[in-house]
Amino acid sequence: MGDFLGKYSVMIVTAALGTAGYCLNVNVKRNRIVYGCVGGVISTLLYCVFVEAQLSLLLQNLIPAAVVTFYAEVLARVVKAPATVFLIPSIIPLVPGGRLYYTMRAIVDGEGADAKVFAMETIVIALGIAVGIVVVSLVFYHISHKRIQFKVRFEQRG
Amino acid sequence: MDKEKACEAPALVMECALDMGETMLRCGAEILRVEDTITRICTTYGGGIVDVFTILSLIILSWKTDAGENYTLTRRINPHSTDLDKLEDLNALSRYICENKPPCGEITQRIGEIMAPKERRIRKSKMAGYVLLASAFAIFFGGNLRDGLAAGIVALLMYLWDYFFSAHGRNRVVYSLFMSIVAGVLCSLSVVIGIGQNVDKVMIGSIMLSIPGINLMNALRDMMCGDIITGILRLAEALMVAVAIAAGFGIAIMMFGGGLV
Repeated sequence: MGDFLGKYSVMIVTAALGTAGYCLNVNVKRNRIVYGCVGGVISTLLYCVFVEAQLSLLLQNLIPAAVVTFYAEVLARVVKAPATVFLIPSIIPLVPGGRLYYTMRAIVDGEGADAKVFAMETIVIALGIAVGIVVVSLVFYHISHKRIQFKVRFEQRG
Repeated sequence: MDKEKACEAPALVMECALDMGETMLRCGAEILRVEDTITRICTTYGGGIVDVFTILSLIILSWKTDAGENYTLTRRINPHSTDLDKLEDLNALSRYICENKPPCGEITQRIGEIMAPKERRIRKSKMAGYVLLASAFAIFFGGNLRDGLAAGIVALLMYLWDYFFSAHGRNRVVYSLFMSIVAGVLCSLSVVIGIGQNVDKVMIGSIMLSIPGINLMNALRDMMCGDIITGILRLAEALMVAVAIAAGFGIAIMMFGGGLV
């Protein structure tokens, strides 16, 4: 446990700070920034745990994204604000900015094989995050969007 | 639904509904939310049948009132920057409208209050956001403290660049390309001067500044709700911006003699 913290504490602290920075950047309300930070810490912590547990690259990102989406959707209903406000900052630490950079770098350096590997990893991570978000959001979507009004021009049977 | 206050002129109601829809779309709401809000406002104030079609840059609203008259309005939505603070206020306002049915004048006034242009000045909080984001992520991806410092300085300069050559231009892709070139040059310079040590970590910190996260997220949410058209539009923009960022940093690296191509 101490070993784990020693290895990843820097990541977790900087994730919290970076998330706060992102919140300020997109102008989230001041009293909501804390929620975003907590989300960022949750996603980073889970990511670190799964890296340590040596799950596949897809799952390393999919599960934290799903958990954080759940967190954001629940919070949105508790605090009465759009889920986006909490979701986007929480996801930010998972975004493959580093992989994107190394892909570009490999292309510039003319190392096709490396570029391929990094590009694949970037896409897999993005896919993992997307699937994680979609799966959880769909559940909430079906719960909460029953009251959407659609136009009624012709009576429907059944 | 009671029709006590259904005496507003249809044109006024539609104007209100469109104002609401436009502002929500500008601030980064999903299409489903926008269409639902417009439909609700119209049916609340005048019943009838509402047809509304929304994509990223256009709202078409057609309304057949209970009196049997047909009205249509369209509105072009200009490019915009996301503002989650305003989105939350607008969300609260639409909740308020559905519960209290205030007169249209009041709605227009409250939207005006929320969207009132703030005076253009250098905002310390936003500047702090830039610096915090870039330096924290430079360290997050494995840089040391000096890399964080360099990324922070670059972010500060990028904020000033953003401020003077505002991001509200029509073409975000070209703007991102130029912004990335400038950022890449600044990152390389910071290492050449000797503030930062690892140019890659400094650059990753700066890349996180301009990643189109909100666009990607909204693209996902829109597609999930069945608004494939807008989802594709948003996704295409986000991907093009991402490629532009990569290309911009690539050009900067080549300027400083890295790379073989």
